[in-house]
Formats: sequence, structure tokens, C-alpha cells
Amino acid sequence: MKRKDPVIHNAGQAGLPTAGTADPITTEVVRHALNSAANQMKRALVRTAYSPVIYEVLDFAVAIYDDKIRMLAQAPSLPLFMGTLSFCIEEAVKNVGGVEKLDPGDVLLYNWPFGTGSHPQDMAVIMPVFHDSGKLIGYTAIKGHWLDIGAKDPYCTDTTDTFQEGVIFPGVKIYKKGALNDDIFRMVIANTRVPTAVKGDLDAQVTGCRVGLRGLLEVVERFGLESFDASVAHMFDHGEAIVRSYFEKIPDGRYVGQGVMDDDGINPDKIPFEVVIEVKGSEVTLDFSEVPDAQEGPVNCPLPSTISASRVAITMLAGYGEPPHEGHFRPIKVITRPGSMFDPEPPAPSFLYGWPALQAVEVIYNAVSRAMPDAVPACSGGCIDSVVWWGTREETGEPWTDGAPHPCGQGAWNGGDGGTMLHIGESATRFTPIEVWEQRNPWLIDQLALAQNSGGAGQWRGGAGIDLHFRMLEDTYITTVCERSKTAPWGLQGGGEGRPNNARILHPDGRLDDRPKTTRYKVPKGGVLQLLTGGGGGYGAPAARPKEAVLEDLSDGYISEDFARANYPHAFE
Amino acid sequence: MVTRIGVDIGGTFTDLVYFDEATGQTLEGKVPTVPSAPEEGVINAIRQHVPAEIIASAQFFLHGTTVGLNALLERSGAKIGLITTQGFRDVLEIRRGDRAEMYNLFWKQTVPLVPRRHRLEVGGRIMASGAEWAPLDRGSVEAAGRALIEAGVDAIAVSLINAYANPAHELEVERILRDLGFTGGVSLSHRISGEYREYERTSTTCIDAFVRGRMSNYLRRLDAKLRELGFTGTSLITRSGAGSMTFTEAEERPFETIMSGPVGGVQGAVELSKALELSAVVTADVGGTSFDTALVLDGAPQILFEGEIDNMPIQSPWVDVRSIGSGGGSVAYVDAGGLMRVGPRSAGAVPGPACYGKGGTEPAMTDAAAYLGMLGPGDLASGITLDIGNAEAALKSVGDGIGTSPEETAAGIMRISSAAMAMAMREISVDQGLDPREMTLLPFGGAGPLMGTLLADELKMNKVVVPPLAGNFSAWGLLGADMVQSAALTRILDLVPGCIDEIDGTLGGLFDTLEARSDHHADAAEKSARLDLRYKGQEHWLSIDVPIEGGKLGKPIEVIRDEFVAEYARTFGATMNENVELVSVRAATAVRLPERAMGTSRATAGEGAARELLVYSFTHGERRPFAVIARADIDGSLPGPAIVTEETTTTFVDAGWTIHIGGMGEMILNREVQQ
Repeated sequence: MKRKDPVIHNAGQAGLPTAGTADPITTEVVRHALNSAANQMKRALVRTAYSPVIYEVLDFAVAIYDDKIRMLAQAPSLPLFMGTLSFCIEEAVKNVGGVEKLDPGDVLLYNWPFGTGSHPQDMAVIMPVFHDSGKLIGYTAIKGHWLDIGAKDPYCTDTTDTFQEGVIFPGVKIYKKGALNDDIFRMVIANTRVPTAVKGDLDAQVTGCRVGLRGLLEVVERFGLESFDASVAHMFDHGEAIVRSYFEKIPDGRYVGQGVMDDDGINPDKIPFEVVIEVKGSEVTLDFSEVPDAQEGPVNCPLPSTISASRVAITMLAGYGEPPHEGHFRPIKVITRPGSMFDPEPPAPSFLYGWPALQAVEVIYNAVSRAMPDAVPACSGGCIDSVVWWGTREETGEPWTDGAPHPCGQGAWNGGDGGTMLHIGESATRFTPIEVWEQRNPWLIDQLALAQNSGGAGQWRGGAGIDLHFRMLEDTYITTVCERSKTAPWGLQGGGEGRPNNARILHPDGRLDDRPKTTRYKVPKGGVLQLLTGGGGGYGAPAARPKEAVLEDLSDGYISEDFARANYPHAFE
Repeated sequence: MVTRIGVDIGGTFTDLVYFDEATGQTLEGKVPTVPSAPEEGVINAIRQHVPAEIIASAQFFLHGTTVGLNALLERSGAKIGLITTQGFRDVLEIRRGDRAEMYNLFWKQTVPLVPRRHRLEVGGRIMASGAEWAPLDRGSVEAAGRALIEAGVDAIAVSLINAYANPAHELEVERILRDLGFTGGVSLSHRISGEYREYERTSTTCIDAFVRGRMSNYLRRLDAKLRELGFTGTSLITRSGAGSMTFTEAEERPFETIMSGPVGGVQGAVELSKALELSAVVTADVGGTSFDTALVLDGAPQILFEGEIDNMPIQSPWVDVRSIGSGGGSVAYVDAGGLMRVGPRSAGAVPGPACYGKGGTEPAMTDAAAYLGMLGPGDLASGITLDIGNAEAALKSVGDGIGTSPEETAAGIMRISSAAMAMAMREISVDQGLDPREMTLLPFGGAGPLMGTLLADELKMNKVVVPPLAGNFSAWGLLGADMVQSAALTRILDLVPGCIDEIDGTLGGLFDTLEARSDHHADAAEKSARLDLRYKGQEHWLSIDVPIEGGKLGKPIEVIRDEFVAEYARTFGATMNENVELVSVRAATAVRLPERAMGTSRATAGEGAARELLVYSFTHGERRPFAVIARADIDGSLPGPAIVTEETTTTFVDAGWTIHIGGMGEMILNREVQQ
């Protein structure tokens, strides 16, 4: 197949002329009100959702857009979903026949991976918002992870096309003018292994979108459409100025970040890739055009998630800790090559799209570190180390399923040791308490511990990975997804590498089986899944770490004496 | 009606309010807080403001303090060790994996209260069912105990996996520690909390061990000094979850009092909303640096069962108070992108707002209010004379950056502050499925009444009630804090009629625990209970109030189930076709304090007739003539706009609002044209 030419995408829509002029004070008031409306959507969703993947893992994104599909506000949720919703709305609306086919009370379902950027499990629910005057003024949208919508397995690492990954809803009306469209609803329910959960989560998404709709209408009514438009324009300009002021500090140039995927889930070979950052004045371009072609296995990252990963990486860096909106994205350009693994074309598999996206975030920081090593941390464990479990309870015959991402060590930076928490791409996510897990599932958990010597050495040391051992009290199937199991997380400025990720199964007969990435693996009763998450890279030369800090780490057992003597000989002089 | 004294220690001031049964009056006072010895501030306040005969006749001393909170925030508690189940000593450090600031790449997790070298593990394992998987390994407990004694710890927290389901191993660990001769405090997690979630329970247990010694010393010192002053009644301290407990009870469960600061105000709101029959109240407590808001529905505060300090969870009843860093001292500035922002940084007590003339040059919210005339002519009743020139210069420094005049800048600061406060109020209301428009706004604290009509406009509310003693309302609220004890136990089972015996048994056990813990006899106390229920498969639950008869459930299971479904529908707007599951059983006892009158402030009459002042009206977007009048001088009612002054606060009543003085001295502001 002929190699296609790269395409340049603007990560944020440029400013548009507005009728009114906004004062800076009304703008700030409108910004508060919009963030408040988005937060209310999130609260409604979290409190009514059925699945832990929504209310605990926060595997969703909640946002409000204007009529031109520019992001007005987003509630804190899963950063990696951040900004993929604009693509969902655009495609879903196009597919139902354009805005003229939308009515008040309509709700759209959309999960075509090349438009959502995700796997089919991530379902976007979209609600157009109409003003009293009949004018379309925007959208509320929630993309949430459904436990199952009919893939070949409850969670897959070995799909070879998109149709093995779930049933597609290409922009259809689940509600028409406020009434449930029963035909579509029954299609949803008939195509999932867990109908109760999916129904509950769909209801919660619709409830959340309705709450957002009311919130947006309230803001518009209060300020009037004209003043609202002007304030929003001002708010976007402001966000843009913030991000630009950051990049102005970075010297102009091209900086290359290097990353590598373990394999594609089907073939065992490593997949190295490069992302080039070009800084010119206050503009930043992220160039993915030289990455390899789309892979046979599901580690392809559809365009919306490539742009989203770019938005996450940049706004985390340059957004001054503020909730992002369209304006923050404007100085960012993304270049991709259609047909490549960061802009795959149908029907390329993308079930594990999130893993290349997480790697891309790290690689972007790797590139930034070449220009300004102090601006970013060293590599984190680099993965969310997800596991999905399922089985049938011995006593009742009831099917059960659970799934979770896990914390890893974070990279150290100039001024701080790395901690242990979820990857920045899922920075608000919490993992489940042991006692809740043991109530729910046939498990006994042997340990949840910080792994000794797992964080990279350095003047600032990397965060420790965790050792989490699940003893199965009944036969259980698992799918594991651990990236960065073959390549250690890098340190910066002389800091050491962190420990790579791994998942392995200890069988009752004593056999140990490394399975960082596996689908539908049977762990027999009495077997133990050992999840060993990666450590963060260190920052700065270990010799610069104060002796007392080294000895304290030693007495706390974060490092062993051998490790201390090998990496920090100065502490023993 | 019984004479009582309430003292609330804040960051800057120690507030005192007492109720004198003989005269039926409530009187107030204020002294500076003594951070190094908070009990000195308390004693100073009482000495200065309360006559000896009142001290002698007072039956209750009610106290709100930040001693425990500060010990936590400043990490100035005990040196503690932690004993956990083999494999789990890092639960305290790993937490739940999330970041408190999700967009901050460099966010640092809170340093654990116990360093890893003092977190030791012991063999033995209890399962979720309560069954023993492996017996406690006595040798490992002895080794851990010896190591901690050797390390010189003051107290030991013990938190074993699934101890809520079966406490046998924790009890055995305590026995072994005592056998080893350890004489310091031992905090067992199952006594601290009967609920599951090991990180939250472990964190709470460590906090208990950490603050226990310090709180206990403080309470004993204070009590002794009160006795020296001639006080002979009962000393009570407020709980984070509303109500109060005796000093002796608090020494045993200090973690329950950690967040007693904002509770006084909520407690006062509860009492006032009962007296005035207000069904839905949202509070706005505005101080110098922070804004607190809470809901009171049908006379009841909203209680959560978990709180958080400095990112450390506390599994204990907790009044649902939302705080943001916005108050009279919040400073305005222009950010990197050219927008004006307000707070959360505060000018604090030093240098304070520019208009206080103590060297402040940045514009604080108080400067904006002063410049606009919202604080009246500038001579505050508290004795401070406002320097409007200083305020103007400070406002100009920021206004020049965004091209606005000092007047526009000042109005903008007030609007941005009220938008941020309104956001918190909207969210706390929406969480309960309520619309703020249907509610009454209760503003108090030094700057609350200033913001009342502004916030009401922001939220389209129609009614504002400024309580008597609004500036000292938190201390006033203390006076009505009933004595409360509570306990809970996680017991997951299907809610079907057959489970009633199990629930009654659990309740019986909890009430026995409370009886043993309480200084009062159970028959003197009102019993109440709640069941935490959820649809099977969900994680989040609703806590449903259930009646108690003879210590047992007073309603059939089917009825309780229906009530859960109705409450679920009310809160979430939908129901599910699933079985209902019990998560936890909660029991509480309350000993009511005797009723008291809604006393009014000392009648400090002003100058009689109202003066007139040009003040900025947000309704009109320009200055208008406002009446300036002392609260005590309002005769029944008065049309707005007006500035109402009193000793500890100033109320700003914008155009479009009318004032009416209610029967209990409360000032009711009604919107002229309802929205």
C-alpha cells in the first residue's frame, strides 16, 4: 500500500469573530459557571453509575462544548479522554445527517473507534443543547467505558481488526425528542455480556448529560447569548495566551523523543517510535509522521487519541494546573500520517489504543527534556498495568467480572523524589481497596507493597513500583496489559532507570509464567497473579543525593544495602 | 434553659458567647487567639467577658478547637509506630493512587504519619467473611512490639486487614504489646472504625494515635483551669460530625473532634432553622481566608461518614462542609494570561487588606468592599477606621493591568468572589438533588452578611436570613451542641426480611459499644440508627434513617427497602431493577442539652436615624444612595438598599431587597420581585 502524506491538525480551533465585547470580569465569572456545570455533570454520573470502572476508576470524560464544538469546560476525570469528545460530537452529528437533523431531547450514541479514538467499549453519549429561541447553542457529552459491548473477550490484547472488538454504534439516536428509542436500546442490551451494568451506566451518562444541559442553559440565560459568546471568546484567548507564554520560554528548535512499545499483542517484536517536537516562538508542533505503520495487533492509536495525548501532555506542562479548554489547545499542532500506528485507518485493531497513547505522553516529555530537562519528570513506570478478571462463582454459578488499573512509580524531577500513583494519563483515578475486593471477588490478597530497589537512583530518586499479589480462591480468567515490560523507564540528567512492569502467574505447582500481556489466561484455584508495576526513573547523578537521604532510604527499606552500595557509594565513605 | 458558655478558637480570634439563664440574654466577646497555648486564650476570654457568678452557675462549657487539627497539620503529634498484616505495611503510603491536583505533573503525596521503618508487619490473616485464614503469629508480634519499644514510640496504631469483620487478631496484638510492657497508647483499627476500606481505616487509626496524647493533655489542662475559675459543670467539645462529647469521651476518641472548627456554625444553623421552621437552608460562612458552606435540610445537618485533612482520610462522621480559599483577605491579581483572579492567597492578619493601613498594598476583597462603600462610612464598629485611599491605590495597581477603573476593579473582585462561592454552594445543593432557588441563604461570619444578597443574586435565591450575632455565630452555635456518640459496622448482606435478626444483633452490639464508651447511661439517651443501603453491584450507598424500638429495628424490612428506593429516586431521578444490599449499620445516641432561648445581642443602639451614603449597587451597576443604619435601630422593616452595621459584622443589602426583623432578632431579607 502506498505510504500516505502526513496531515497537519490544529489541536484547538482558532478564534472566531463575535458580536459582543467581553470584559475580563464577566469572562472570569462565566469560566467559573461553566466549570461548575461540568462538575455537576460529573457528580451526577459518578453517583448514579453502576460500574466501578466509572465511579472509582473514573474511566470517562465529561465536557461541555459550544455550537462550533469548541470545548467550554471539562470536569476532572480521565485526562487521556480529554478532548476526544470534540471528534465524537463532530462525527456523530455528521452521521445522523447534520445539525439540521437534531431536535431538542435527542441523545446520540457513538463508538466508532476512528472517531472516538478509543476501543468500542468507550461509548460517547451526546446531547445537543437548544436555547429557548430554538437555536442550537452547544452540546454536553460523556464518553464512558462500558464493561462490555461484545468484543471477542471481555478484554483483549490479541484482536486483528476492529470488528473483533465490539459492536459499533456509528452515531444513532438512543433518545428521539426525549423518548427512548427502544429499537436501539434493545440492540445495546442484546450485545453485551453484562446488560445490567451497561444499562445502569448508559442511564447515568444520560442523566449526567441532562444535568450539563441545564447548567449550560442557565449560564447562557443569565448572561445573554451575546455576552456569553464574547466571554467564551475571551476565555479561549486567555487560555491560549497562558500556553503560549510557556512555550516562549523554550528555545526554538526540533527535539526528538524516543519511545518503544513491547510488542503489538500478536507479534513479539519491539516497536520503536519517535515523536518530534518543534518549538517556534509560542507554537508547538508534535510530529508523529515518522512512526511505524499501523500494527497487526491492537496497539494502534486512532487520531483523536493521538491528538488527545498531545493535548494532555502539553496542557499538563503549560496550563498552570488549570482545567483546560479549547483555548489551551490552540498553540498546539499535531502531524500524523494516515495509515500509521498513531493515525490508523479502518479496520485496524485498536483495543489497546490507550497504551501507545500513554507511551506518547512519556515520549513527548522525553523530547521536552532535551530542551529543558528541569521542565519535566523522568519517565514514570509508564503504564497503568491493567488487569481484567472474570469467572463463575463456585457456590452460586453467578458470573463475575472486575477490572482495574494500578499505580506505578513516578519519575523524579529536579526538586522532588517520585511518588507512587496512577499514571498522569489517569491522574484522578483511584484503585480499589483490598477489603472491598475481597468482599466482592473470590480472592485473598497476599500483599500490596512498595517494591524494593524499583525506583531509579539519583539525586532525586524515582518512585517505587508496587508488588500486588492476588491469590485466586476459585478458577479465574484474566487479561493483563502491562506495557514497558521489556524497556526500563529512563532517568534524566544522570538518574538511574526504574524497574520495568510485569505480570506473572505463580501456579499451584510452583511454575512461574511471565504474562505482561495476555488474553483469557486461566489462573487455577490456588494460583497467584503477581502484578509488579514499574518504578520511576531517577533525576540527577546519584552521587549528589545527600548521604543522610540515602541512609534513610536504606533504613526504611526502600533500597537494599547492596543497591545502596552499588548506586550511592559516597554514603558509605 | 440553662446557663452555658461557648468558646470557639479560630486562627485569629477566640470567640466567646454565653447564655445567661437569669436574664435570658446571650452575650458575646472576642480575644486574640494564643497559638502557643490555646487554653490561655480560652481562659482569657472567659475571665474578661464572663462574670464570676455566671461561671459558677454555668452547667455546660462547650468548646470548638483546632488543637487536634493543628497537631496534624503541623505534624506535632506523638511519635508513633504502626503494626499491619504481613504484606500491607505500605497501604498507608500507597493510598488509593490518585492525585489531589490532577493537572499537576509534580504533585507530591502527603508524607505518611508513620515512616516506613516504624511500620512493621505481623503474620496471620482474617478473611472478608471474618473466618481465620492463618492464625496470628505471636512471634512476629513480639518482634514488632520489641522493635517499636526499642525505637521509643509513644503510641502504636494496629490496623490488620479485615479487622472490621473479626477483631480477634487486633485484640490479641494489644494483649501481646501489654505483655511486653508497652505502656503507651494502643489504637486498634476496629475500635476506631468498624467500616471496611483498609487505607481509610489505617489512616484514621494512625491519626488517632498521633493526636491522642496532645489532645488529652490539652483537654486536661483546660478542664483544670476551668475548675480553678469556679466552673463546676460539664465540659464538652464539638465533634466533626456535629453534636458534642465530654472531655473524657474525647480523650478516648480524639480523632472524632479533629474538624470541630466549622461545625459550630452548622450547629447554629440547625438550631435556627428548627426555630424558624426553614426546611432547606444553605449556609455561607465567610471569614478572613476561607468560605465554608453547608446544607441544613429539615433541621438536620448533612453528615458524611468520611472526611479528609491534608489528603489524609478520616473514617468518622463528618459534617458535609465545602470550603474554598475565598474570604475577606483574598487577594486579587492579574495572571499570566491577562485575566483578573481572586485568591486563594490571603493578605491574612498581617499585613491585612490595604484599607486596614497596616502595610498591605495588594487589593483584598475587603478593600473592594470598602471602596464600594459596602462597609459603610469607614468607621467599623470594631474600632478599625478604613483607609479608602489605600484601598484605591491597591485596586488601581491591579486595574491598570486589565484596563479597568478602581470602581470596576472593585466590583469585579466582588463578582468573581461571589461566583466562586456560588459554585461551591451550587455543587453542595446539586449533590442532594436540590435547587438552591428553593432554599434560604444563611450568611454569617465576619464577611458573610456582606456577601448575602450578592450570593443570592448569583444563585437566584429569594430569601436571606442574617442570624442574630451573625459575626460570632459559630460560637453561638456551640451552645446548642447535644451530646452525641456514634458507631458503625460494615455488614454486607442482601436486604431481605430474613436478615432482620442479624441487623438487630448488629445494632445491639453497637449500642452496647456506645453505652460502654459514653459517660451517660443509655436510658438517658435517644437512640437512632441508619442503614447504609445500595443496589447490589453498586458501590455508592445512601444512608437511610430507620426508627428504633427497644434497641431494635422499628420498621419491617420491606418498608425500609421502599424508603431506600424513594430516596434513590429523589436523589438520582431514577431507580433500578436490582436487589438492595446492606453495607453498614450505624448507631448513635444523643443526650439533648436543655432548651435555650434564642437570645439577642446586647442592644447596642446606634445613632437612631439612618444616614445616607453613595454605595455601589450590583443591581444597578452604579452607585446609588444607601441607608446606613445600626441593626438595633431598624424598626420592624426597612426597604433596601441599605448598609446595616453591628458590632462584629456589616450587612450589605442591595437594591431590590427589603429588610424585615423577625421575632428572634433575625434579619430577613426578601427579594422584592421573586425569581
